[in-house]
Amino acid sequence: MQPMGWTDFFIVFVCCAITMLACRVIPLFVLKGRNLPEGLEKALGFIPPAAFAALVANDLLEPTMFDAGLWPAAAPLVAAVVVGLVAFKTKSLLWSAVAGVAAYALLSLI
Amino acid sequence: MFSRDHIKQSFQAALPIMLGYVAIGIPCGILCDSIGLNALQAFLLSVLFYSGAGQFMIPNMWLAGGPLVSIIASVSLVNTRQMLYSAAFAPACRGVKKRLSFLFAATVTDESYGVNVQKFSEGEWSVDRATMVNLFSQSSWTISNVIGVLVGNAIGIPLAIAAFAMTSIFICLLVTQKWTPENALAALVAMVGVFVCKMLGWSGPAILVGAILGVCAALAFSWAKGRG
Repeated sequence: MQPMGWTDFFIVFVCCAITMLACRVIPLFVLKGRNLPEGLEKALGFIPPAAFAALVANDLLEPTMFDAGLWPAAAPLVAAVVVGLVAFKTKSLLWSAVAGVAAYALLSLI
Repeated sequence: MFSRDHIKQSFQAALPIMLGYVAIGIPCGILCDSIGLNALQAFLLSVLFYSGAGQFMIPNMWLAGGPLVSIIASVSLVNTRQMLYSAAFAPACRGVKKRLSFLFAATVTDESYGVNVQKFSEGEWSVDRATMVNLFSQSSWTISNVIGVLVGNAIGIPLAIAAFAMTSIFICLLVTQKWTPENALAALVAMVGVFVCKMLGWSGPAILVGAILGVCAALAFSWAKGRG
């Protein structure tokens, strides 16, 4: 892997910071008093489940994941189920993170 | 406004978030260190970009060899959910000074949104206190990230384990969504989409493409339901 130099960093940093600031600030100032069009509101509402599912799938799923045998690929999946249960029970990001790291570390020792 | 009492209340409300950010911020800093970012860069990201998911995605996608455009597009798409939070706080900011509203809006995160929404709904809460919750959280996040970069691999935490802290947070955020049929479809299609993208060798834009497919599927489903 090549380290990320200042030029690449700067491009990613500035672009991401600008889109982030726009998403955070514009709706609040535009909406002080108005409502979003219904279709847009609906689409925005579907972004969180779709985005989080995509992020989870991206971290957990790999087409070649079972090539090295069943267990190396299954361990993170089992840890993910543990996290899912903890998250469902506690609704806490902190506990989910702690449970996930602990489960993942333990399972990768086996 | 920013009175002693308010500062104390805000700190109490922010404390769980601050602890959580230490737990995630340090691994995030370690991950940033692993792709060659320094403490100043981690500081700039934490102060001016301030996104847990985003600051994990950038090094992860860089490690996976994703092109810059795809990193920027994926991170930005994932962060569009902030528009919902921003819209949700619009009523609370009515009549509040522009500068304070701006500072408040610019520092909202998934976690502080959750805490402040709850506080506002209980009543007895104000934008200055909500802003302080955001700023306390951001301080904790920034310090933890910088510590992570400085400590780097000295601790010897395997990156896969550190990165799983963020995976866990994504799982928690996913599990705590409202499970309507549309949302379930959006999530399912997004996951399948990511997997198919990777099979085709498009691991760079996989998150972006998967999430867009998920949103489209859910929109199509809800329109079809509305008609039938």
